[in-house]
Amino acid sequence: MDQPDAIIHQPVRLKIMAALKALPDREPIDFARLKTLVGATDGNLGAHISTLEQAGYVEVEKDFVAKKPRTRVRLVRTGRRAFDDYIGYLREIVEATAMGEQSR
Amino acid sequence: MPLSRAEAQDALRDITRTERTSANFYGYRHASPHLFVWGIIWAIGYGLNYARPQWGAAWPVLALAGIVASFWIGAKSKPAAARGDWRYAATALAIFAFIGALFSVMPPRNWAQVSAFFPILVALFYSLIGIWTRGLRMVLAGVVVAALTLIGFFGLPQYFLLWMAVVGGGALILGGFWLRSV
Repeated sequence: MDQPDAIIHQPVRLKIMAALKALPDREPIDFARLKTLVGATDGNLGAHISTLEQAGYVEVEKDFVAKKPRTRVRLVRTGRRAFDDYIGYLREIVEATAMGEQSR
Repeated sequence: MPLSRAEAQDALRDITRTERTSANFYGYRHASPHLFVWGIIWAIGYGLNYARPQWGAAWPVLALAGIVASFWIGAKSKPAAARGDWRYAATALAIFAFIGALFSVMPPRNWAQVSAFFPILVALFYSLIGIWTRGLRMVLAGVVVAALTLIGFFGLPQYFLLWMAVVGGGALILGGFWLRSV
């Protein structure tokens, strides 16, 4: 990977992906809890989730619990793989620069 | 444009921090119903024991109800992949075997010792889970339960059972709310 994944490489989306990646496979997280974790406003978080959903990285599930609407988000396999690749890309940069400095 | 090393390091730090917090939130959310259940069981069990010492026989029934409830909550809230994992049952069995062995080597001399031992054991488990998952709230819940038990045991021996019903059970229930609040 020469360039970072543009979908993930945005501070709020990066945090969303990291928060979802920490959960067991296919485990969803409530919108409200994700908002606390990421520290974004409702509108901002909703827009970033839509971007991730359109990229096929997350799934959004809407239902009602005790007559209250609930939105839950879960990471899908494509998203998990893309996030792993993104982390690999970051690690490569850190390690390559460290090796370059050592060989000088 | 490719990232600089500093930018990549910052992003990795952000990822680690968010993953850790998310994992903690997840753990807290799943631990809180167990604290509610055991808080209620302690309040009933110790309360009955204080009001009518002969009702100490209710403990095995209450403990069994608590274990069944904990397994049910665990099975319901676990991700599909973890359901039916034999290690949960094996862990419960190992704990029972440990308690059986411990009491046969060092038999408790009175009912108060038994009543203090289990909360301290539970507190140890909470603290260990907290230490290994970096969950500060779990560590604090363990420390508070252990401290309250010791305060009641040494400081208020004549009211120890009432203390454990109100303060011990109450602390667990409040701990459950506290874990759920994140």
